[in-house]
Amino acid sequence: MPEPIGADQLRGIAEAALGLAGVDGVEVLAVHDWGGLTRFADSAIHQSTAREDTAVKVRVVSRGRVGVASTNDLSKEGAAAAARSALELTQMAAPDPAFPGLAPRADVPDPADRFDEATAAATPEARAEAVATLVGTCGDGFHAAGAHETTASEVALTNSEGQFCYAATSQATVSAVVSGGEGGAGYAEEWSHRAGDLDPEAIGLRAFHKARDSQRPRDIEPGRYDVVLEAPAVATLVAFLAYLGFGGRAIAEGRSCFSGRIGEKLMSDRITIYDDALSPGTLGLPFDFEGTPKRRVDLVAEGVVIGGVHDRRSAKQESVESTGHALPPPNPHGAFPLNLFLAPGDASVEDMVRATERGLLVTRFHYSNVVHPKEATITGMTRDGTWLVEDGEVKHPVKNLRFTHSIIEALRDVEAVGSEAELASEFFFSASSVPALRVSSFQFTGASDH
Amino acid sequence: MRHAVEAARKAGADYADARWVLEENESITVKNEEMEGIDRSRSDGIGIRVLANGFWGFAATARSEDPAEVESTAALAVKIARAASRLAMDPVRLSEIEPVTDTWETVAQEDPFTVSLEEKVSLLMEASRRMRAVPGLSFSEAMLDFYRKRSALATSEGAAIEQTITHSGGGIEATAIGDGELQRRSFPNSFRGHIAAAGYEHIRALGLTEEAERVATEAVELLSAKDCPSEETTLILDGPQMVLQVHESVGHPIELDRVLRMEEAFAGTSFLEPGHRGQLRYGSELVNITADATLAGGLGTFGYDDEGVPAQRVQIVEDGVFRDFMSSRETAAVLGERSNGTMRADGWQNLPLIRMTNVSLEPGDGTLAELIGDTKDGMFMSTNTSWSIDDKRVNFQFGCEIAWRIKDGNLTEMLRNPNYTGITTEFWGSCDAVCGPEEWTVWGTPNCGKGQPGQVARTGHGTAPARFRGVRVGVR
Repeated sequence: MPEPIGADQLRGIAEAALGLAGVDGVEVLAVHDWGGLTRFADSAIHQSTAREDTAVKVRVVSRGRVGVASTNDLSKEGAAAAARSALELTQMAAPDPAFPGLAPRADVPDPADRFDEATAAATPEARAEAVATLVGTCGDGFHAAGAHETTASEVALTNSEGQFCYAATSQATVSAVVSGGEGGAGYAEEWSHRAGDLDPEAIGLRAFHKARDSQRPRDIEPGRYDVVLEAPAVATLVAFLAYLGFGGRAIAEGRSCFSGRIGEKLMSDRITIYDDALSPGTLGLPFDFEGTPKRRVDLVAEGVVIGGVHDRRSAKQESVESTGHALPPPNPHGAFPLNLFLAPGDASVEDMVRATERGLLVTRFHYSNVVHPKEATITGMTRDGTWLVEDGEVKHPVKNLRFTHSIIEALRDVEAVGSEAELASEFFFSASSVPALRVSSFQFTGASDH
Repeated sequence: MRHAVEAARKAGADYADARWVLEENESITVKNEEMEGIDRSRSDGIGIRVLANGFWGFAATARSEDPAEVESTAALAVKIARAASRLAMDPVRLSEIEPVTDTWETVAQEDPFTVSLEEKVSLLMEASRRMRAVPGLSFSEAMLDFYRKRSALATSEGAAIEQTITHSGGGIEATAIGDGELQRRSFPNSFRGHIAAAGYEHIRALGLTEEAERVATEAVELLSAKDCPSEETTLILDGPQMVLQVHESVGHPIELDRVLRMEEAFAGTSFLEPGHRGQLRYGSELVNITADATLAGGLGTFGYDDEGVPAQRVQIVEDGVFRDFMSSRETAAVLGERSNGTMRADGWQNLPLIRMTNVSLEPGDGTLAELIGDTKDGMFMSTNTSWSIDDKRVNFQFGCEIAWRIKDGNLTEMLRNPNYTGITTEFWGSCDAVCGPEEWTVWGTPNCGKGQPGQVARTGHGTAPARFRGVRVGVR
């Protein structure tokens, strides 16, 4: 298994680029990452991979012009060549008057326990054993599909202003769809810094029980239903809300669904959303890709929209400080919150079902996308376990439905918030820490045949 | 590559292939006549795929020039394959292939990487300036993207193939914001424009500056347009929207790995089954769809796929009847057939998957003007903004940038926030017109996601405007 290169060596490589003569500033982002993924389908391991990669991204500032070049040649020669290429780009680029300068030197917090050596060194045999445990939970006539991934990375940010930050992190995930019988499927997932913290047996059982309980789903008419959304479904709403709303630059430019609405109470007072990369309940880096230390940012407090996250560009635009949410350059979309939390409440999923006269219990959404960006309306399908709830009891599974609904409206109509938050993902977004929600009058606009 | 294959065989692989890949990108974005981003990137490495005792293993490293690293990566691939045997599975069999030694290259008249940055930036600045001159516009963006992939494939069966693929793309986007609305118009297509397997000559022919004022004007006009009403109507879709319609509701469900449930956990499966070939009515008799990796200009065009299978043209739907899947050597063998050559990997870091080549709706007859003229009452929608479809590719919903009401054969009122929804085979069954070759263009979709770890593929789609009856539009 690959091993960490270490802060000193990454800094040494970066300095080869910082030595570029005759420029106003240089920033070097160096990344070393590796890992393995054991993918299974039909209860067998059908695709299993490992990779090790490196990246050096050099941003050069010269006469108010900015150029970026990157390579995966993680050597002094590679970094120096990328710096020369970035300089060449600046010579042809037009000036960038909004460029805020490189990040100043600043101390970066050190959240302990982000790198687990055992996870970084996880073997294909260990991943296969975990998958075998998960698959073993499926009852007769059912089969499991999913992935178990263990990864590690080192990220170092060095710039000519004297800033240097380095962090090593590890991550382990397991996810499963169990299906079979006479139609019906179930889903579960788990995330951690440590592979040893994952419980593949529990994940398998959770997905299997959902599959077992969603057999022979019935047709149901689309329309407005009260819904109990489990954490993976809530993660879709939170991720898209971040995409459509919480970027500081988008807010300033009028593109955000919250532009001109900061300070307004748009959601239920049960809803508090914040981003906090330093919390022990999340994964990731303590600094952003410009080298600014990350800090907690309150986005929605008891239903009131507080604001968004910033990188150095949008911070300059708004005359505030960067919150440490820059993505790697060049990034025309601006800052993004990668460590979202929706604060838990005091209800269990069972409580929420009991409180529902007629509604739907939803495991997760699939392939969602934007319908109206300013209203934060999205559409998507239910998947892997949806049930009709009547008189406080789960009655029977239903076939998948299409929803088309405003996220802001959904979070306005929250009736209860789950007491337990979990990390859950939405396709291409990072995982958010979210509880289940009970939402009234959630709109379903179509139905599928399975 | 031969060294990597031999190392894998020595480590115990029954079959091995090794792909070295170098990818280079150049990307330039101008926003409101200011530089938004200008960057170049390069990445190279080697991916080694093995079969050992009927199980797959794959390992990849960026240190492809270090023989010891390549050997240990090959050994790791074999170790991974052996670990996979922890769970029982029918051993993977590969369909037959004739190994070839060959080279192949995209036909590009003008190397986009040698055109000066000054010329590229100047083009984008002028397009941005012309859009910005339209009163009421909030943002004017113009962008260019260039991509080159050099690869070398060697297999333990004796194949040795070198390929160079070049893609060029460009586009403009005008955004108007006001009164709780964000309206965008793009040209020639949304999501960074029109990308093709071609050189800089493709950019010169796009007409980015010529269309800038119209695009910006439409974006501003959309702010005060009426919302697309909720109704059932006759719908004409333009070529760029047909790209997404074909991609999501035909391209993905015909991937044989999805049909065989190999993608169940992430992207999902398919409503199609092997027994549907020659039996299932996918659409009306006007619907003819091909998957053609030999199509000039397509992002899914190559000489050989990443298993060394020659590029092919496959009839997917013929006169409305479903005919065939896109397959790999492994999945084709399950059906007792030969691969039709659609395996491609994202870079060197990933193992090949079945990916769309150029999945195209073959042209019918007539022009778009004639088709609109032939429509008494309906709607014309243009340019994709949004797509969503269920995990078996049955229920879909798409959003477009703009629509116009059609009355008595004429485009009349402009409508904003248009969208439509349907069920795949019902929708294709309602197709009663496809425009002809004069309206047919090969478009690029450079952002198709699939697999775990996530991979992005560059796919192509030839489409012309088409008409569908009884479509539900205006989902709110």
